[in-house]
Amino acid sequence: MDGIQVDIQHLKKGEVSLGTSIMAVTFRDGVILGADSRTSTGAYIANRVTDKLTRVQDNIWCCRSGSAADTQAVADIVQYHLDLYKAQFGEPSTKTAASIFQTLCYENKDNLSAGIIVAGFDKKNKGEVYSIPLGGSLHKQKYAIAGSGSTFIYGYCDKNFKEDMSKEETVNFIKHSLSQAIKWDGSSGGVIRMVILTEAGVERLIFYPEEYENL
Amino acid sequence: MQPIQHNFNPYSDNGGTILGIAGKDFAVLAGDTRQTVDYSINSRYESKVFDVGDNILMSANGFAADGDALVKKFKNSLKWYHFNHTSSISSISELSEQNGQHKMSLKSAARNIQHLLYGKRFFPYYVHTIIAGLDEEGKGSVFSFDPVGSYEREQCRAGGAGASLMMPFLDNQVNFNNQYEPDSHGQVKKKLEYLSLDEVLQLVRDAFTSVTERHISVGDGLEILIVTKDGVRKEFFPLKKD
Amino acid sequence: MSGLSFDNYQRNQYLAAHTNIKFQTTSTGTTIVGVKFNNGVIIAADTRSTQGPIVADKNCEKLHRIAPKIWCAGAGTAADTEAVTQLISSNLELQSLYTKREPRVVSSLQMLKQHLFKYQGHVGAYLIVAGVDPTGAHLFSVQAHGSTDVGYYQSLGSGSLAAMAVLESEWKQDLTKEEAIKLAADAIEAGIWNDLGSGSNVDVCVMEIGQDAQLLRNYRTPNVREQKQRSYKFARGTTGVLKTEIIEEHEIDVVA
Repeated sequence: MDGIQVDIQHLKKGEVSLGTSIMAVTFRDGVILGADSRTSTGAYIANRVTDKLTRVQDNIWCCRSGSAADTQAVADIVQYHLDLYKAQFGEPSTKTAASIFQTLCYENKDNLSAGIIVAGFDKKNKGEVYSIPLGGSLHKQKYAIAGSGSTFIYGYCDKNFKEDMSKEETVNFIKHSLSQAIKWDGSSGGVIRMVILTEAGVERLIFYPEEYENL
Repeated sequence: MQPIQHNFNPYSDNGGTILGIAGKDFAVLAGDTRQTVDYSINSRYESKVFDVGDNILMSANGFAADGDALVKKFKNSLKWYHFNHTSSISSISELSEQNGQHKMSLKSAARNIQHLLYGKRFFPYYVHTIIAGLDEEGKGSVFSFDPVGSYEREQCRAGGAGASLMMPFLDNQVNFNNQYEPDSHGQVKKKLEYLSLDEVLQLVRDAFTSVTERHISVGDGLEILIVTKDGVRKEFFPLKKD
Repeated sequence: MSGLSFDNYQRNQYLAAHTNIKFQTTSTGTTIVGVKFNNGVIIAADTRSTQGPIVADKNCEKLHRIAPKIWCAGAGTAADTEAVTQLISSNLELQSLYTKREPRVVSSLQMLKQHLFKYQGHVGAYLIVAGVDPTGAHLFSVQAHGSTDVGYYQSLGSGSLAAMAVLESEWKQDLTKEEAIKLAADAIEAGIWNDLGSGSNVDVCVMEIGQDAQLLRNYRTPNVREQKQRSYKFARGTTGVLKTEIIEEHEIDVVA
């Protein structure tokens, strides 16, 4: 078994990937996660209604980008750790969740292609967003964008993001941002999904192309 | 990042199978009509066996574009052959057809095709070529070529994707290989004899339905061209489409 | 040591790179689909198995039983779909006996994806997993690398594009059982006719809530071979007998 040279490029051939547009934004009442819904294998759209917004706790969710298999596996492991944590010490914080994500992504950086945004709400810290890009570093941010489609909306988001927006403003900001990301990125598409995390709990939204395409 | 080399591949494999059998006073050249690339079907009816004139049947199976190009080139060559060998005097007895036109013999056609193929020795036509017709004595005749022009006259030859499945069946049923006279204890080979056109047609149909069962790039339709002293005739039979 | 042995991995890599030796696996170059309906879920598959361009089996079974009411359709490497399905089936039955509960589809899905992820795509199983359990009817797909998808309809294999074309144009919400079976079978047929890796017959498995799962083997047979033109019966003695040898029979006493 020892000394086997594993060629990553080869291993990942034909893998299902989330060529994605994802983001998470803090606002007045908490945080909102947003994502497109396209999963592709090469030129083929393997799933046009994917849910890339994944629950790891009732109040802590993540946006997945990169390899579908890797990010699902990582999210499953994080969920397991958080459940265990909760049983022993009580409700985990968003930062704790992000830290577990980071550990997994950093320690296994050679074998993973996973770009994850962690977002959560708790009474003490309100809405929080943590970004974990490819190498496994951890960045606390007011808002975060990631995935192949995000490159097209850095300018837009930088100009239009405001702190302490209302829920409606934030939903609109995400809708406009992802609309542009989807428009210019061929690997993103389908519907726009959102998850709103506030004191009130979880709210899910879905926007169809007819609505977001010509805003 | 490491550099990636991109290559243009001028060839593709369009599948399909062809089969030529020579009889006593006839010859047949048959081919399925499915054209494929990888796991996709380009067409369910695309002829690849042609009546090129002068009672000669021709098919070039493998890479369809090369096959078409080769047939086209040979047809053109045949045209020029007629230009150069047509006499204004129509009564000379050596001229085997009316209007002073001299028919190209099958063996001349074969030699000509050899030159067409070898002319592209270092960028070959990616095809297995078979021609069929009647020889100078009026006997059925089949010639088969490799991609660069090596050729041979044969009684029977299968070409293309399903050739390896078909050929052993033909060796056994046309040339009676591995068949012995009953009661000779494997000492006396079964005597060779010409098959009738009906028998040949039955063998061809069974050969193609069988290969269709076991080869994914063969199917959809079977087109059989039959050449006799009276000219060329076509027959078509549907094959399975899965 | 447990799990699969990778001892020959490097040797095979060397052989693949430096010789003409090729390791061919029987691939179920396949069309498989799954469709949910108002009271359950169904899966379907074609029955062609190939080795390169050659049809290895004209009527193979691609529908596997994981539990009595959880079935899956497999595409990819035939041996892997079979092995992984049996492994998970076995573990699921033990778990079911231990917990005294009906096995759940999500359990089999989680076990499958964790197994496949562990082997990083080397176990080439692409599966559509479906079934009914105490929580209702479920339909999932799993890819060799370990990713999973959820949906009302799924298709996988080399004929998945042809099948998906039918599903995307014909599918509607709240299908009846009969409508779902027809849709799934039509999708498989699209694969049979238009994908060279798929062919022969359609197998269907219906899993309805509150009822036993029923496997409809060869639900459609649109590719029956026509009668041959000739008989290929040889006259007795056509094959020469080269050598005859008679071996004496010996009685062997078996001591109890």
